[in-house]
Amino acid sequence: MSNKLKLNLGPQHPSTHGVLRLILEVEGEKITSCEPDVGYLHRGMEKMAEKLSYIQYLPLVDRIDYLGAFSYSELLCRNIEKALNTELFPRVKAIRVLMLELNRIASHLLWIGSFLMDLGAVSPFFYAFREREIILEYFEKVTGQRMMNNYFIFGGVRRDIFALADVERFLKILPDKLNDYENIITQNPIFLQRTKGKGILDKETALNGSITGVNLRACGVKYDLRTSDYLYKDYEFTPVVLDGKDAWTRYKARILEIKESAKLIAQAIEKINQNPKFEQDLINPINLILPEGEYYSEIEAPRGLASCYIKSEGGKNPYRLKWRTGSYYSVNLLRRLLVGEYLNDAIAIAGSLDIVLPEVDK
Amino acid sequence: MNITELKKVFDNCDITEDKIIIKDKLTETLKFIKENYEFNILKEIVAIDNKDKGIELIYRLYSVENEEEALISISVKNEAESVSKIFDSAYADEKEIYDLFGVQFIGNDELKRLYMPEAWEGHPLKKDYNEQDERLKWNE
Repeated sequence: MSNKLKLNLGPQHPSTHGVLRLILEVEGEKITSCEPDVGYLHRGMEKMAEKLSYIQYLPLVDRIDYLGAFSYSELLCRNIEKALNTELFPRVKAIRVLMLELNRIASHLLWIGSFLMDLGAVSPFFYAFREREIILEYFEKVTGQRMMNNYFIFGGVRRDIFALADVERFLKILPDKLNDYENIITQNPIFLQRTKGKGILDKETALNGSITGVNLRACGVKYDLRTSDYLYKDYEFTPVVLDGKDAWTRYKARILEIKESAKLIAQAIEKINQNPKFEQDLINPINLILPEGEYYSEIEAPRGLASCYIKSEGGKNPYRLKWRTGSYYSVNLLRRLLVGEYLNDAIAIAGSLDIVLPEVDK
Repeated sequence: MNITELKKVFDNCDITEDKIIIKDKLTETLKFIKENYEFNILKEIVAIDNKDKGIELIYRLYSVENEEEALISISVKNEAESVSKIFDSAYADEKEIYDLFGVQFIGNDELKRLYMPEAWEGHPLKKDYNEQDERLKWNE
């Protein structure tokens, strides 16, 4: 008789950050196989695109990843700007960088909070949310929404940016707050025991599994799209590359990435101040028709490479639109990563990959 | 990537300015490209239903070392070779394409419904998908 037991984890488990169901096979405490079951949040994003015009579709794309909404609206806008050869003005470019990077910090902060919550530490959650709140309040001030901001539009942004002093104040307090986190988390013996050496992801497995973003850079591969992105062209920026491969390294990489984003924001503010005149060439969305052809753009979203592919046949709506999201591949990586680990580490390992389920299910 | 060299090995391919269009030998081509040109990431597989011309599958490969991209395109009817043995991530893409387009990937033994319910009929992103289906009239 075999001692294997089939165990169902989720979909309503609080630490699955949404509705992820893992079908685990365990032998004693050891996991012998893992099968992720996704699709509980499927909204048919790609099917809807084929029915809607581009401007009708634009507010929807923010919902693909509610924590990295700006990245996805940037992708759709970028595809359309590319197709119609529209150049962005320097101020608008800087505004977009500012928003994207603030969004990344907010997303990583939420991750730190919820990851530590998964491990049983409650207070970091409140600390991280306290700082994230400042960013969300700023988003609300400028865009009118805390999340799913619908701020970028074809050819520019919906309105000019203001209250940059808020952002500067945030940048000023951020290093101290990050120090606070590091003091209570980074060398905490309980945290170390639960993350050091757990969920080892080596370079080959990561590349083979199409893992991108922080998770890939935490296993020593220097691949950050921001180094070649046209928005970030005049920015000084060094990708965070660590070679630790475990869950702890992925945590550390995110902390360092927040610091790197803060530097980018400071540069973006400088560029906004250098170009005080707000001007943009908006594309009229009412009769927007993409010329026949295939369009592709990609961006470094908070959870790895995100891309949007559009095939147009010259109509008002795309013939085919495809999203690539980072989390989808992270979820599928669990099939490899959890095998051989203990059941009580499963949550820590899944959490360390920063999976957001709406992004997986699309 | 040296395209002429590739053409020598696979005479049955068309090379346009951005894509390499092949007619068969999908796994062999991908394996050859992966091993000889260091294309180590399969970023995604895009499926497009081109009605009578079949379903086009575009494999977007990327080389982290050389920072270059290659697109391999193949048109299939309802059956394709699975490349999940060469790129592990293809397993996930193929599952999605099976669900939304109904392409059977030979060699991927875990094809089942991913987003749609298990008893769902039809594949929603196909152009001949029946949109008069009663199940879709839930909000009228």
